[in-house]
Amino acid sequence: MALELVVLIKVVPDGKEVFVDPVNFTLNRSMATNVLNPADENALEAALRIKDEHDARITVMTMAPPFAEPFLLECMSRGADQAVLISDRAVAGSDTYPTSLTVAAAIKHLGKVDIVFAGEKTSDSSTGHVGPGVAEFLEAELASYSRSCRYEDGFVTAERVLEEGVEVVKIPTPAVVTVITDSNIPRRATLRKKLNAQKKGIIVWSLQDIGLPSDWVGLRSSPTVVKKMLPFPAIERKGKVIGLDMMDDFVKELVDTGIIRQGGN
Amino acid sequence: MTEMKKAEPPQDISQYKGVMVYLDSFNNSLTRAALEMVGAGRKMADKTNEKLYCAVIGGSTKAMAQEAGVHGCDEVYGFDSKDLAMYRSKPFSDILAGLVNEKKPNILIVPGSKNGRDLAARVAVKVRSGLTADCMDLDVEPDTRILLARRPDYGDSTMSEIRCEKHRPQMATSRPGTFATPEPDPKRKFQVEVREIKLEANQLKENIVSFNQKNEEDITGSKVIVSGGLGMGKPEGLELIRKLADLLGGSVGVSRPIADLGWISREHQVGQTGETVRPNLYIAAGISGQPQHIVGMMGSKVVVSINKDPEAEMNKNADYVIIGDLYEVIPKLIESIEKVTGANPSPA
Ligand SMILES: Cc1cc2nc3c(=O)[nH]c(=O)nc-3n(C[C@H](O)[C@H](O)[C@H](O)COP(=O)(O)OP(=O)(O)OC[C@H]3O[C@@H](n4cnc5c(N)ncnc54)[C@H](O)[C@@H]3O)c2cc1C
Ligand SMILES: Cc1cc2nc3c(=O)[nH]c(=O)nc-3n(C[C@H](O)[C@H](O)[C@H](O)COP(=O)(O)OP(=O)(O)OC[C@H]3O[C@@H](n4cnc5c(N)ncnc54)[C@H](O)[C@@H]3O)c2cc1C
Repeated sequence: MALELVVLIKVVPDGKEVFVDPVNFTLNRSMATNVLNPADENALEAALRIKDEHDARITVMTMAPPFAEPFLLECMSRGADQAVLISDRAVAGSDTYPTSLTVAAAIKHLGKVDIVFAGEKTSDSSTGHVGPGVAEFLEAELASYSRSCRYEDGFVTAERVLEEGVEVVKIPTPAVVTVITDSNIPRRATLRKKLNAQKKGIIVWSLQDIGLPSDWVGLRSSPTVVKKMLPFPAIERKGKVIGLDMMDDFVKELVDTGIIRQGGN
Repeated sequence: MTEMKKAEPPQDISQYKGVMVYLDSFNNSLTRAALEMVGAGRKMADKTNEKLYCAVIGGSTKAMAQEAGVHGCDEVYGFDSKDLAMYRSKPFSDILAGLVNEKKPNILIVPGSKNGRDLAARVAVKVRSGLTADCMDLDVEPDTRILLARRPDYGDSTMSEIRCEKHRPQMATSRPGTFATPEPDPKRKFQVEVREIKLEANQLKENIVSFNQKNEEDITGSKVIVSGGLGMGKPEGLELIRKLADLLGGSVGVSRPIADLGWISREHQVGQTGETVRPNLYIAAGISGQPQHIVGMMGSKVVVSINKDPEAEMNKNADYVIIGDLYEVIPKLIESIEKVTGANPSPA
């Protein structure tokens, strides 16, 4: 039986993304477009690499309005076999609890699943809650913050990149793997796959299709609520201007205030 | 496992009391982020006149529990097992959720390290409550005991205040480096309870094959950070930045575009989507000072801005401002440091 892989994606705004002009190293802040969340590109690639070596089927999935469809097709053009769009007005305003719940219910509705891939976090609200939340609802093992992963005989071996170092974990399937940004180089779409994707189309599910009551999700069933916007906390700093001819005095001041030490060890 | 259903709020939220902090640890010692959260938790517990609970899970937790106590905790719960020496998502989240159900804290805060975020996200689902990520500020409204969790907004110069009004505990994570570590008080009174834990086979399916401690510089613990931005104009600028950093016994930081360009690895990026740092001395050279950068270094003790533009936003966030071309300023600064301090100064 083929391995069943699921890749979770989110479409995020690219509007204020910093784009560095490679010629004169200036910033270009224009272009308000949507993109596939960067880590999800790496999550898809991680799944495709498993498919390169094993008999596997990849389903890409997102909970989003229909504007996400071209991005699902793009994932199919890179090698995913099918795409599911969970689209329902009732999910609007969901925080990470109902988002994880809805995605987990849709995965369960797919049937047998071996590995679910998600991004470590999104580039917009970047909570990183959804992967672990889905693992919890699915009672799956979890390897978060992974830079690479392999599959062998019912087990996933993943390299987790942590603050203190790199940890290699081995977990049985079903497993959720969250993939870190820039951890691999995503492959490009091929024309043939693109045409196939367009022919195949996208599977669209409503909440009813996946068996979730509509009052379990959305803004009203989200524990967290964004209450207000506040300005960034202002820091009071004295901003003393140091002339180039005052450098010695400046360094002495740093030494006198204990910020840097005289001599050295 | 958590049954797939809605996050139903508890009937009676008044029974949820106190603040609980999960203590992150590595190799049987608390992380700095854990102590920072103890400080943040202590402030909130004082404000509502309630207890500060702490939870620590590991191979041997007694000494860590004591350390949390002297740093401000009232009741510390340690969970010991030889199988828990390293973080494992399933048993750790089971244990923490169990303690939450037992103690019913009003607020639960977790260090936003990688493992901490992994843990918090699972526990939020298990206890069916709300979790706010990456809070820059944590406060509590004394009368309502509502957690005011403030986090930066995407791309804007604003913060959102997120509340979890009906569900308990009100959960939040903050990135390491967000808060100052509290001073220990060896005379503080507190209780420690260490429990031996027996785990079941289905909690121990995760097998840690190896751990490679890295020796690359982790800038979050540095006392001095010298950061370069696009004002460097070319990758070689980093050599000058490093020279100054080395002289001061510090580390190299960068603004995001420099990491985007691949001139240095992501670990060196300071800011909203990079590291949060609070060194004694932060020198920003050729960095304009956008809010997404400022949020990552605003806890620094002394900030120096080197910028050729007198109007740069960075200057307004600095204690000392040196106007000029960094390629001229930094060599002068290096010269003065060598002259004033002798050849090898080091951070205090
Ligand atoms: C300013 C702001 C702040 C917010 N802060 C919080 C907060 O602190 N806590 C909270 O609970 N909610 C918060 N939210 C709501 C949150 O944006 C949504 O719940 C969102 O659906 C998922 O969160 P995320 O983007 O952080 O996903 P993450 O958890 O960062 O996403 C990780 C991965 O999960 C997968 N994934 C994420 N979303 C989907 C999806 N819709 N479909 C399929 N796969 C997906 C992708 O693989 C993604 O890479 C906030 C929203 C805003 C606008
Ligand atoms: C969602 C999101 C997240 C982000 N996260 C981060 C983050 O984590 N960290 C981060 O840093 N940014 C982040 N950014 C980007 C941020 O908004 C800014 O674009 C970025 O910080 C600017 O980098 P910079 O200051 O190096 O470059 P610029 O803004 O181009 O500033 C260059 C500065 O150098 C000065 N200069 C030029 N030449 C010289 C010279 N020879 N000598 C001295 N000074 C000179 C100029 O006067 C200018 O002030 C994020 C943006 C978004 C939208």
